[in-house]
Parts: sequence; C-alpha cells; structure tokens
Amino acid sequence: MSRITLTDLSRSYGPVEVLKHIDLDIRDGELIVFVGPSGCGKSTLLRQIAGLDRPTSGKIEIDGRDVTRVPAADRGLAMVFQSYALYPHMSVRQNLAFGLENARMAKDEIEKRIQEAARMLEISAYLDRRPGQLSGGQRQRVAIGRAIVRNPTAFLLDEPLSNLDAELRISTRAELAALHKRLGTTMVYVTHDQIEAMTLAHRIVVLRAGRIEQVGTPLELYNKPANRFVAGFIGAPRMNFLPASMFPGSAAAEIGIRPQHLRRATPGETGLKTTVVMIEALGSETVIHAENGGQRVLAVLPGQQQLSPGDEIALAYDAKDLHPFDKDGLRLP
Amino acid sequence: MLVAPVGWLARLFDPPLRALQRVGGYGGMAVFFLAPNMLVFGIFVLFPLVLNLVYSTTGGAALFLGDRSFVGLAQYERLFDCSNYLDPKSCAEDLFWTAVWNTAGFVVVQVVLMVVVALVTALVLNRELKARSFWRAVFFFPVLLSPVVVGLIWKWILQRQGLLNLGLYELGLTQVNWLIERGWAFTAAVGVSIWAHVGFYALILLAGLQAIPKDLYEAAEMDGTRPARMFWRITLPLLMPNLIVVLVLVLIRSVQIFDEVYVLTGGGPGTATLYLTQYIYEIGFASHLRNPGLASAASILMGGVLVVLTLLQLGIGRRNEARGKK
Ligand SMILES: Nc1ncnc2c1ncn2[C@@H]1O[C@H](COP(=O)(O)OP(=O)(O)OP(=O)(O)O)[C@@H](O)[C@H]1O
Ligand SMILES: [Mg+2]
Repeated sequence: MSRITLTDLSRSYGPVEVLKHIDLDIRDGELIVFVGPSGCGKSTLLRQIAGLDRPTSGKIEIDGRDVTRVPAADRGLAMVFQSYALYPHMSVRQNLAFGLENARMAKDEIEKRIQEAARMLEISAYLDRRPGQLSGGQRQRVAIGRAIVRNPTAFLLDEPLSNLDAELRISTRAELAALHKRLGTTMVYVTHDQIEAMTLAHRIVVLRAGRIEQVGTPLELYNKPANRFVAGFIGAPRMNFLPASMFPGSAAAEIGIRPQHLRRATPGETGLKTTVVMIEALGSETVIHAENGGQRVLAVLPGQQQLSPGDEIALAYDAKDLHPFDKDGLRLP
Repeated sequence: MLVAPVGWLARLFDPPLRALQRVGGYGGMAVFFLAPNMLVFGIFVLFPLVLNLVYSTTGGAALFLGDRSFVGLAQYERLFDCSNYLDPKSCAEDLFWTAVWNTAGFVVVQVVLMVVVALVTALVLNRELKARSFWRAVFFFPVLLSPVVVGLIWKWILQRQGLLNLGLYELGLTQVNWLIERGWAFTAAVGVSIWAHVGFYALILLAGLQAIPKDLYEAAEMDGTRPARMFWRITLPLLMPNLIVVLVLVLIRSVQIFDEVYVLTGGGPGTATLYLTQYIYEIGFASHLRNPGLASAASILMGGVLVVLTLLQLGIGRRNEARGKK
C-alpha cells in the first residue's frame, strides 16, 4: 500500500518560487509520470517526495501519515538517480547490500534479496564488479536493483533512462514497464521526454514553471488537452496553433489541430488552402511544411506524396479534431 | 592585428632553426630546446648533488675541495659509530643520533596530527557555513607566510615575556616558559609547523571532498545511512587518494623540518628540538667544529630517505591513475 498525497505544496529557493501550490494524489500501485520542459521543477518535486529536500509550505502524506518532516530514510521510498549515484568504491553486491546493512538486516536475508533482484535484472554475472567496470545499461540496472532490494513502498525515478543511447532507452523502457507490472509498486517517474511519458504512464502530470498544468491518462492529455501548453507539449510533431479567423464560425481565439489530423482535401471538399514550403519524406509518412498567409501549417500525411515546394494544396480536417482555445490559452468546451 | 608581429618573429627565426635541424636532425632539436632548462638544472641541482657526494668522502674543516683530503667512507663510518643506536650518548656523533631520534619522534607526532587536523579542517570548511570563503582564506593565509616570519610571530607569542605569558599574567594565571621547557618546546614546534602548513593540505583534501558527487550522499541518505557510517563508508574511501597524497607530502616535509622551528627554538632547550636539517646546517656551516664532510654524509643519508618517500609517492600516484582509468 502506498498512496502519496501532496497538499498545497510549495518550495522556494530564496525569492525564487520553484514549486507553486502543488496538489496531487498519487494512487497506490500506479505508474505516474511527471513531465515538463527543463527547469520546470520535476526533480524538485520528486525530491520533496523523497525527503531529500523540504517544502517551504504544504503537506506530504504517505498512506495517510504526514511525512512532511520525516527524514528520507524513514519514508520507505527508494530512488533511482539520473546519474545512478552508485557507490564507485563498492562492488555491485555491496552497492545493493549497503542500505540493507544500514537497516541491520540479517546477512542471509540480505543475500537472498540480492540474489533475487540480480536474477530479475540479469545482473548476477557482475555482482563482484565495481560500477566503473560496467556499461551504462548495466549500471542502470544496478541502480534499479539497489532500489528493488529495499522493497520500498514506492519507487522514485528521476530521468533514469536519459544517460542511455536511443536503442537501449527503448528496450529498458519496456523492461521498466514490465517490472512495474510484476512488482505492482507505486512508481513516480520523472522525464522531459513526452514519448517516454506517453508509453509508460498510467497518468501523466504535466508541469510548467512549478505549476501542474494537467493531470490525466496519456490519451486524455492527447485528446483533451486542458490548455495550449499541454496541447503543444504532448504529441509529435507539435500541434498547429492557428488564428480562429481561418476557421469560419468559430468563437475561439485560437484553434489547435494536430498535424496527423490534417489530410489532403478530396475534390469538392473545403479545407485550408496552403502552399507547400518543404517536404520531409519519411517513407511510411510524409511531413508537409505548408504556409497560409504567413501562417505555418504542419501536416503529416500517410504514405508517400507526389508533391514539391510551391504546390498549392488544400488540407481538410474533421471538426471533432479541432481544439479551440480562448485568449488565455484555456480549452473551450 | 596581433598575429602580424608574431608571424614576423616566427619568420625571423625560421632560417636559423631550419639550418640547425639540418645539422642536428629531428631528435637534435629536442636537445636544443631542452638545453637551457637542463643547464639551469645542471648548475643548481645536479652539480651540487654530485659535489655533495664528493664532499662526503673528504675530511677536515677546509671549505674548498682542493684543500680537503680524501678519507673514503670514514665520514659515514663516524656517523654509524655507535654501540647502541638507540642511545645517542654511546655514539661517536651523538648529536647526529639525537637529531635522528628527535626527527623520528617529531615526524610520527606531527604527521598524524597534521593529517587529522587537515582532514577536520577540510570537513568543516566543506560544510555550508556562513562566510565560507572567508574561513578558507583564514586557514590558507599562514601558508603564504615565509617560515621565518612564522617562526618569529610565534616566538613573540611564546617567548618568556611574549604575548601569551603577558595575557596569562593579566589574567593572574601562572606563566609558563613555553620555549624553555622540553615538553612545551616540542609541542610548540609541532603546533607551529601544523599551523603554518595545515591550510595547504586542507585545501588538497577540500578539493577531494568537493569532487565527491553530491548525489552519492543523497543515495546514501535514501539508504538510511547514519552520519558516522556516511563518513567511514562513503567520505573516507572516496577521499583516500587525496588523503594518501597528503600523507606522503606531509611525511616528506616533516622529515625536512627546519626553518620555522629553528627560528622558534633554535633546537633548544639543549638539543630537545634539534632536527636533522638543523644538525646538517650547523655541522656544515655554523658550529665552531665545522665539518663539511660529515654534514655532506649526513645529508646524503637524509636524501636517501627522502628519495624512498618520493618514490613511494610516485608509486601511489601511478596506482591511483591506473585505478582511475579502470
Ligand atoms: N538548490 C537550488 N537552489 C536554487 N534554485 C534551485 C535549486 N534547485 C533547483 N533550483 C531551480 O529550480 C528550478 C527547477 O529545477 P529542477 O531541477 O526541479 O528542474 P527539472 O524540471 O528537474 O529540470 P530538468 O529536466 O532539466 O532536470 C530550476 O529553475 C532551478 O534553477
Ligand atoms: Mg531534473
């Protein structure tokens, strides 16, 4: 059991307010992802939960117990650091054992847990090596292993994949998801990569400048972004934001439409009249950079298109795919 | 604009250098460029070293080599002429052995204290304390002083009518002859030499402490590590390379101890703080029983000890490098 509740949490460094009135309920067993641009306060928020930093105001509860002033070690959480933070002078085995020894656990129980974690993460072969003698991916597993052996009530992971190369990142991402399923333990996962967030998360928390912009499942965020920021942040390539004047009869200040939701108009169909500026042919799909009265429009069209810069094309869309925003960037119903 | 004169100069030197390379070959150029440095090193280091070795095989009080007679290893024999090495009085050169044992005692106490004090200083200065740069400067400042100045400052403080006794008098406390009582003189020698140099070693250790990644401590905090265990299991092992460098440097400097103690106590009371370098200096140049050959022999022996310590340091340095690469 571990449900983490944050109530009106704020953290300032001197005059700089890094976290502003965060309210969040992390459910038991869920994999929740904090996502947002660099410097938005994701790590700071995670560190408040971990107990490595104290909020300026607000409350943190784990399973109903107020832990706001409880030291990190007594919160029953385990953290995986972006840098892995493995103890460089200890073997992998000692790295895993260190926290358990601190808790004065019996030797054979420690060994049992190490063996179990090592088997699960396939690191048994290098238990006696030092971190410096491991590859990045192996180190990453050890870092996760060090968290697992402690049998925590929740895992906190701060950009655990960002030091891996692209290929390894994708496979490790899948393994993490599998691991979460197997352990069923609450995981709080920080990343600035929205694709990582979309693929892993049960729920995503989008942060900007120390505030929560929206909380929801990946598809909720994709289909019904609460505001212009979330709309632009989730989904790639980025959503088009066009003046409402281009859409007759709209009461909104601005209309968002995803590049994937634009298609070539069939003869007789009306659409946005645009001029092709640039074409990126990716084989399975074609990204069109087009222009309408100085307004850039991005469209992702299926398959391969016979187009060249300068061509006039009409881009059609379904009304249900339009995201209307008011002048403050909030979503209109 | 700045490049123009440089290019002009380079062209000026081009023809003679090319000519030289034609004569000396590619490898010869290296010799040519190293020569000035080698010349200085040769005149001021290598030549005196060899000369010292030659002096140690000659006898008499004369200063010029031409006036001195060859005595072979007689000076070394004299230094080692002892019925019991532990008892300087039983030795032909009792002052030498007094100095040897004094130095040994000084080295043991001073090295241990110096390393501990430097470590504690570094740990304190590494904390988030107010005006940290100011405190760092305070501890480093004595390092910038000349050892003679250090000796004089503390002499003014510790001598019979010095500042410390004045203070004790004002407070109505008993005064102590800090530099005249054996135990206190030794304590002063150790204390002053630590005061003078601890800033330097603390700085090396501080650099080592700051090189330890912060998130290791955070990981250890998440692991529920208590402060003492944090020190023994995280800080100390990760600081070990720096600590060993400091240990060996302190050891070498400690064996060579001279200036500040000489100014402070002059080796007294009696011979209580007479250390090897002072012995060599006095036998070689200062005493009325001047014996340059004996001083040379003693300095060669001391040089040997220092060479061993230096090799030790180099060996450790190389081992650290090798470990760093792994
Ligand atoms: N100890 C500190 N003192 C002052 N400011 C800090 C401190 N820690 C973080 N900040 C500031 O708080 C803001 C949020 O930092 P944080 O590390 O939480 O960002 P982040 O979302 O994790 O970014 P990234 O994706 O780059 O890791 C930044 O603007 C940073 O400068
Ligand atoms: Mg971060």
